[in-house]
Amino acid sequence: MSDRKLPRLLQTPAVLLLLVWMLVPLGMTLYFSFIRYVLNNLRRPEWTSPSLSNWRGFGNYEFVLNSKDFVLAIQNSLFIVVSILFLTVILGVLIAVLINKAFPGQGIVRVLLISPFFVMPAVNAVLWINMILDPVLGLQGIAVNGINDVLDNLRTMPVLGGFFSLWPEFEPISFRATQTSAIAVIMMVTWQWTPFAVLIFMTSLQSEDQQQKEAAVLDGASVWSQFRFLTLPHLGRPIAIVVMIQAIFHLSLYAEIEIVSRGNGNKNLPYLIGEFANNNIGAASATGIFAVILANIVAIFLLRMVGKTLME
Amino acid sequence: MGRIVLNNVTKSFGETQVIPPLDLTIEDGEFAVFVGPSGCGKSTLLRMIAGLEDLTSGDIEIDGENVTETPPSKRGLAMVFQSYALYPHMSVRKNIGFPLRMEGLDQAEIDKKVEAAAQSLNLMDYLDRKPAALSGGQRQRVAIGRAIVRNPSAFLFDEPLSNLDAALRVGMRLEISEMHERMKTTMIYVTHDQVEAMTMADKIVVLQAGVIEQVGSPLELYHKPRNVFVAGFIGSPKMNIFSGPAAEALGAHTVGIRPEHTDVSMTEGTWKGTVGVAEHLGSDTFIHVHDTGLADMVTVRISGDISVKHGDTIYLTPQADQLHKFDAQGMRVE
Ligand SMILES: Nc1ncnc2c1ncn2[C@@H]1O[C@H](COP(=O)(O)OP(=O)(O)OP(=O)(O)O)[C@@H](O)[C@H]1O
Ligand SMILES: [Mg+2]
Repeated sequence: MSDRKLPRLLQTPAVLLLLVWMLVPLGMTLYFSFIRYVLNNLRRPEWTSPSLSNWRGFGNYEFVLNSKDFVLAIQNSLFIVVSILFLTVILGVLIAVLINKAFPGQGIVRVLLISPFFVMPAVNAVLWINMILDPVLGLQGIAVNGINDVLDNLRTMPVLGGFFSLWPEFEPISFRATQTSAIAVIMMVTWQWTPFAVLIFMTSLQSEDQQQKEAAVLDGASVWSQFRFLTLPHLGRPIAIVVMIQAIFHLSLYAEIEIVSRGNGNKNLPYLIGEFANNNIGAASATGIFAVILANIVAIFLLRMVGKTLME
Repeated sequence: MGRIVLNNVTKSFGETQVIPPLDLTIEDGEFAVFVGPSGCGKSTLLRMIAGLEDLTSGDIEIDGENVTETPPSKRGLAMVFQSYALYPHMSVRKNIGFPLRMEGLDQAEIDKKVEAAAQSLNLMDYLDRKPAALSGGQRQRVAIGRAIVRNPSAFLFDEPLSNLDAALRVGMRLEISEMHERMKTTMIYVTHDQVEAMTMADKIVVLQAGVIEQVGSPLELYHKPRNVFVAGFIGSPKMNIFSGPAAEALGAHTVGIRPEHTDVSMTEGTWKGTVGVAEHLGSDTFIHVHDTGLADMVTVRISGDISVKHGDTIYLTPQADQLHKFDAQGMRVE
């Protein structure tokens, strides 16, 4: 056996396993997306088992494109993912820079900061929507009531009361409503994933060259200039990593959406797939292919953007 | 302009005092070199002058103005670091222009000054490269360029050449010396390299454990070391220093004689010993002599070549007018 054959041979099982791992699900999804395949149909029982004789061509794709929720799902997927990325990166950088300086109690603060990451997504969603965001029983409801009470008291004051009576009563916001449920999802996922960003940025900050900073101080750079011209470019690559990993994770958000509003006015592509998969496997598979395409577009677009702005 | 005066300056890190009270004046236009063993506080002193390290007490004046509380960027000093400390994400052009950009100069003026600096440092071909794509010598030049454009009242160098190979060091050493001749700006240069100190300095400051052992011109330090430490520190190969009966015979507690001030003979002389290792450099020969009764090993330096080999008996005679004599406290006696 030649020098090169043996290593190749030894790699083969791993490569094969990976290929099977990736290609089989993708292949089956593609196959199902081109045939009629439903779980339950009394009139056409032959559609309930996958078979090439049920070939539908691009029919499933057309059906999905024309379904009323598809555009909403795409928009929502993008809106949720981009908002979360934006917030976690900004908060992550700010917090990482803030706690990078030595201060008493640093160890405990760091552990506390990381802890949201260890909460299960479904638990996170239940906690947020019921205990924090609920308009009556949650922190939000209590806070709004409290503010209103204070305002009521102020209105009875002799002179300034007139001024405060111009203020409106505050209304608690329901985060299960069509317009606001996406916001609730963004808030809870941002809370959960900011620690991940902080963790990665903190490690990167610790490897920053201190002499460069000192050189910049001598060169007359303000704290802001040091951040803008040294720290931010230094964080370019970790930011790209955080953006990539989170984009992949958050395009497939499901539990939070289910728990907040059961997809009411706030579907994303995975949720749409789930709804189709209740019966129509063909349509669900076609949606899955759209999701793959969307994920690729998002990944390329984000990488370009991050690369351009930060690695100049 | 750039006259730097340190008055009663001290520095402690926590409980440990690194610099005990210290006074030093560096005249305008002078090339001052700080030398001393590792950990003696050279870098700390330099960083205190730059403002990167706070003083524990005392004060620093530049051109008669007390700058102890002045932030680093307002002191008008430029520093070149051992690790170069270039900004890795910026091109050479942007690196050199960075201090000007921070000053808020307009782009045309920045370009003009950057190109002038690049021209004088032979960096014109590399202006659009990133630091990672440069050799060590080129990076060092960029770091110097970044210092020059600020037109500082003094340059501070912290072992700027120690990451370069021997040949490049010689070249850069000359370039920095020439730069000093041309610009006549005050320079403070930290090194532990003998040759750099002797060749570049107008004034050498020898430090030990934060204490100034001697300040003087290179030749002053060579011919009249103030104490045993300076005598042993300045000069290469090291001065032979011995005490005991042989020293008392010469009328001093401790006596030092430089390797190049010892004559050798195979037949007669003051001291007798056996040859250990002989290093033939062509131009010079260093002979390490043992069993002289003076010290474990005595080094002599002979101009040209001489044929001696391991185990030969050899006689050494010091040149009487080149003997250095020290008292029991290690201070020079004339
Ligand atoms: N931030 C610090 N905290 C505590 N001690 C320090 C600190 N910086 C330096 N020291 C101590 O101060 C002393 C002087 O250090 P310094 O870096 O000035 O030495 P140096 O003369 O430049 O040595 P070298 O030739 O090895 O660079 C050393 O003993 C060092 O351990
Ligand atoms: Mg040092």
